[in-house]
Amino acid sequence: MKHLILVIEDQEDNRRIVRDLLVSAGYEIIEAVTGEDGVAAAKTHRPDLILMDIQLPDFDGYEATRRIKANPELHAIPIVAVTSYALNGDDVKALEAGCDAYVSKPFSPRALLAKIQEIIE
Amino acid sequence: MPKAFSLNTSPKVSSISRRFSFTLIGVITFILIVFAAVVILFDINRIESDLENRLEKAVKLSQNSLPIPLWNLDDMVVKEFVEALFLDESIVYTKISWKNKIIAEKYRNGFVYKDIDLDLDQKLHTGSKYIAKSSSINFKENAIATILIVMSRNSVKKQALLQIFGTVSLLILIVAAVWLTSIFITKRYISFPLLKLQEAASAIAQGDLETDVEKSGRDEIGVLAQHLDDMRGSIKQLFAELSDSKKRLEVHSRTLEQQVERRTLELAGSVDELKALGEISQVVNSTLDLETVLTRIVRHAVQLSKTDAGTIYEFDEEKQVFVPRINYGASAEFIAALHESKLSIGDQTVIGQAAVKRAPEQVADLSGFPEYPLPSTLQAGYHALLALPLLRENRLIGGLVVRRKAPGEFPVPVVDLLQTFAAQSVLAIHNARLFREVEEKGRELEIANKHKSEFLANMSHELRTPLNAILGYTELILDNIYGDVSEKIREVLERLEKNGRHLLSLINDVLDLSKIEAGRLTLSLNEYSIGEVIRTAVSSVEALAAEKNLDLNVSIPENLANGKGDEQRIAQVLLNLLGNAIKFTETGAVGIEAVVSNNKLVVSVSDTGPGLAEADQKKIFEEFYQADGSSTRKKGGTGLGLSISKKIVEMHGGRIWVKSTLGEGSTFQFTLPLRVEKQVEQP
Repeated sequence: MKHLILVIEDQEDNRRIVRDLLVSAGYEIIEAVTGEDGVAAAKTHRPDLILMDIQLPDFDGYEATRRIKANPELHAIPIVAVTSYALNGDDVKALEAGCDAYVSKPFSPRALLAKIQEIIE
Repeated sequence: MPKAFSLNTSPKVSSISRRFSFTLIGVITFILIVFAAVVILFDINRIESDLENRLEKAVKLSQNSLPIPLWNLDDMVVKEFVEALFLDESIVYTKISWKNKIIAEKYRNGFVYKDIDLDLDQKLHTGSKYIAKSSSINFKENAIATILIVMSRNSVKKQALLQIFGTVSLLILIVAAVWLTSIFITKRYISFPLLKLQEAASAIAQGDLETDVEKSGRDEIGVLAQHLDDMRGSIKQLFAELSDSKKRLEVHSRTLEQQVERRTLELAGSVDELKALGEISQVVNSTLDLETVLTRIVRHAVQLSKTDAGTIYEFDEEKQVFVPRINYGASAEFIAALHESKLSIGDQTVIGQAAVKRAPEQVADLSGFPEYPLPSTLQAGYHALLALPLLRENRLIGGLVVRRKAPGEFPVPVVDLLQTFAAQSVLAIHNARLFREVEEKGRELEIANKHKSEFLANMSHELRTPLNAILGYTELILDNIYGDVSEKIREVLERLEKNGRHLLSLINDVLDLSKIEAGRLTLSLNEYSIGEVIRTAVSSVEALAAEKNLDLNVSIPENLANGKGDEQRIAQVLLNLLGNAIKFTETGAVGIEAVVSNNKLVVSVSDTGPGLAEADQKKIFEEFYQADGSSTRKKGGTGLGLSISKKIVEMHGGRIWVKSTLGEGSTFQFTLPLRVEKQVEQP
């Protein structure tokens, strides 16, 4: 059975890359562009993993993570934060917000895939 | 009295009068003695002849008187006659005889008959004691008797002695009289006046010039005294002149002294002025705090011009008024009045006038100036005012005013001095303005620099987003996610990916540096394992080293302590050093070594590369510097890596350096405090 991964990412190119990477690796993908949509999608689809971009147009990834983790039904879903290399201390903040792991932008698709596989399997 | 006129006591001189007396007496005595001798001789002679005459007479008398008695033989008469002859005391013997028969004879006692040779022959016989004469007595021309008369010389002798005695007594008397007279005369007319003269001369010698010299007569001594007195007069006049010139000399020297004193004072004043000026120019040049400088200037200006208060105004160009900036010596009330007054160019105040004339302006006495626009000045008791405009390149920037309670003109030197102070004030104000501008510019520059860094930080972030997409797609293509890729395309894609990664690292470095410069880089200080950080770094460059066939020697102790710091940033430094070492080394080995000692972590990364020239060893840590300018292109890299590493190390409170010899490789070393509790702020 295919694992379902929710990708919350506002940038189209990044979404496309992640989608192409994960689909080719045999995952099922749901995409959300905003934090709010992302949180809603998480409730609706109950994904196996959430890939959370930190810089989002409405509220940031930390807030989205807190909301998802605040929901007991969604609490167990692992969230991998995609932090910006540019903003120092994001990794720590991400872990504090409840993320289970993080990858720093710019990420190598191969490294991202390795990380996801490590968490899911 | 001046010492020059006091003489030593004159040596004792023998009295002139005495010498004169002796000489006089001597001469007189001699003359008298000669005269007396002549008189005596003459007298003796006269007495002698008198005796002889008497003898002759007695004989004659006998010849005349005796013939008759003799003839008559009247002896009685003859005897009486003889007796009568003896009345003459000189007759000592008489004998009348005839033919050896003595008719009459008489002698006085003591007479010795033998004494005289009586063989007389009618001649006069003279002997030492007696004279005798015998003669015949004739009667009718016949001799009838002979008579002999002897006279004693005794009486002559006695008379002569008497005569001598009288003469000598007279002589003595005369001599004594002459002596006494001469003594009296010399004493009265010579010695005494001379003594007086001597006393007077001595008094003059002792310095008494007031007492007149006694002028006793019109004789030589009187003349001498007159001359002496004249001399005294001359000396007195000389003295008067001397003391006058001495007085003048004293006055002159006193004047000189006063002049010297005054000059000294002036000099001291000048020295004070110079000191003040020196201090002020020193302060103007060393202190940028305008308040301090101007306060000193006003204080010195007031003190040196001996005034009571002073103000430095700054000219507000916009409002066209003088704003009192610094006050000295004035009461708070007066200062408040100054602040309220809106003094401006051309008004009737001293500063207003000085500003128009662009030259110093003064008022000697305000009380003669009832319409003066700033009445508080006179109310505060200031009468004299001096104002100097502060001009900078002919532009009015302010004014210096000093006020004095005592009315009166300000002398030129004071005005000149204050002009110097005004010039210094101008300089100080100008300096302060320049400094303000520089400071403002500096602040602006700093802000601009920050903006630049922020812009770079944002920009590089914006640059990375599309680049990430490019690299992401490239990687996916290379991983055959979009289907198989021909070998030719794969090769191109690999180049694309390589260049893309280089571009990314460039952007990342720029981003790091600008973040550091913008002060936006904060370290995440956490516990970390030194060994693990090093091993992770080594493992990520192993492939690169292997590609170039370089040995990678890792030497770290088994159980290195945990450190505290920003793990990611430390890893970044390690990766940078290892990457450089591998990049620049063609053959040989790259080594990494870590030691902990004295609570310090020391890491060395060494290589067998080309090494660095001495000159390059410092510059290498500067931004965009690579030893060989061309190597950036050849070897890739931004030239920012070492600069960023240095900043990261320093933010941890550590140090980084390189030891290298050209041709023998390099060793980069850095130290970090084992536990960093606080980020070190970058200057």
